[in-house]
Amino acid sequence: MKHESQLKRRTLVLYSLTAALLLAFLLTPAVSEAQSLDDQVNEISFQLMCPVCQGQSVAESNSNLAQDMRQIIRKKLQEGESREEIIQYFVDSYGESILASPPAKGVNWLLWILPAVAIVFGVVAAGMFLRKSGSGRSEGESKESEASGPENDYMKRIEEELKKQDS
Amino acid sequence: MNILNAGSKLAVLAIIIIILIILGYALFGKREVVKTSPLIGKEAPDFTLKQFDGGEIKLSELRGKTVLVNFWASWCMPCRQEARALEDAWERYKDDNVVFIGVNVWDEESSALTYMDKYGGQYPHGVDPEEEIQVEYGIGGVPETYFISPSGVIIDKYNGPLTERIIDFYLQKSMKPESDSS
Repeated sequence: MKHESQLKRRTLVLYSLTAALLLAFLLTPAVSEAQSLDDQVNEISFQLMCPVCQGQSVAESNSNLAQDMRQIIRKKLQEGESREEIIQYFVDSYGESILASPPAKGVNWLLWILPAVAIVFGVVAAGMFLRKSGSGRSEGESKESEASGPENDYMKRIEEELKKQDS
Repeated sequence: MNILNAGSKLAVLAIIIIILIILGYALFGKREVVKTSPLIGKEAPDFTLKQFDGGEIKLSELRGKTVLVNFWASWCMPCRQEARALEDAWERYKDDNVVFIGVNVWDEESSALTYMDKYGGQYPHGVDPEEEIQVEYGIGGVPETYFISPSGVIIDKYNGPLTERIIDFYLQKSMKPESDSS
């Protein structure tokens, strides 16, 4: 009984931790502060992949093209264009493959939801496993105690017989 | 040890089947045709090029003509490879209402001039002083070439060195009325 409640508590803690992690992950981008022009250029540059580099963002690359792109981002920000307008400008020229994070539409949404689904399934499976193995163990323990009953009787009878012989 | 009852097993099986269906759709489902540029079929972004001989050339002033816009650099080996084909094709098409424009990018002017002396430069070549044209046209490397119809619509884009046959194919396609060219 005690073991079962411990198990429930552990499962609850596991679920709460996962939920807290997911919440933290979802809320992080919402926290933003006033940024300098350099920060804004950097932020947008990180959202765009350098078209001529291997797995580098525009912010990370030193290629001529990435330098041109950073310069254009700076100019457009100074002209008052929004982050979305600037990103759309690059998407219009290079296509969606330039985005560091693919938009959640079409089959792309799978990329966004599958990790979360995998985490949820993992937690559920772990919970089920723990519960099942815990109840299996407690069943085993009760069987053990049942089996020890006749054994005790047998030992008592032997002791009684020995006492009789001694006397 | 059996950790799942019959209901759970069915649920897991259903989930696996759903995931397989989704992955199957992602792999083999209907997809958009991959184009060499998202600009194909759209109006060509206008630009003003500062020519090496001092003049200016503005794309929007070339309406009514088929335009070939070739992006190149003097340090680019495939550009040297295609230079002869471009010059020869220009000779053949210059009287057919076709304009060739060379856009020099990511280069030094002196190197570009030396290149033009060596590999030809009969048609207009120049640079964008703002250095934005290459990004506006979604250029990833050189050489890359756009083919623009007389109405100013981008008909196609070719990545890599051109040959005369490739130039003929795309120019013929761009010279056709737009309803036929797709």
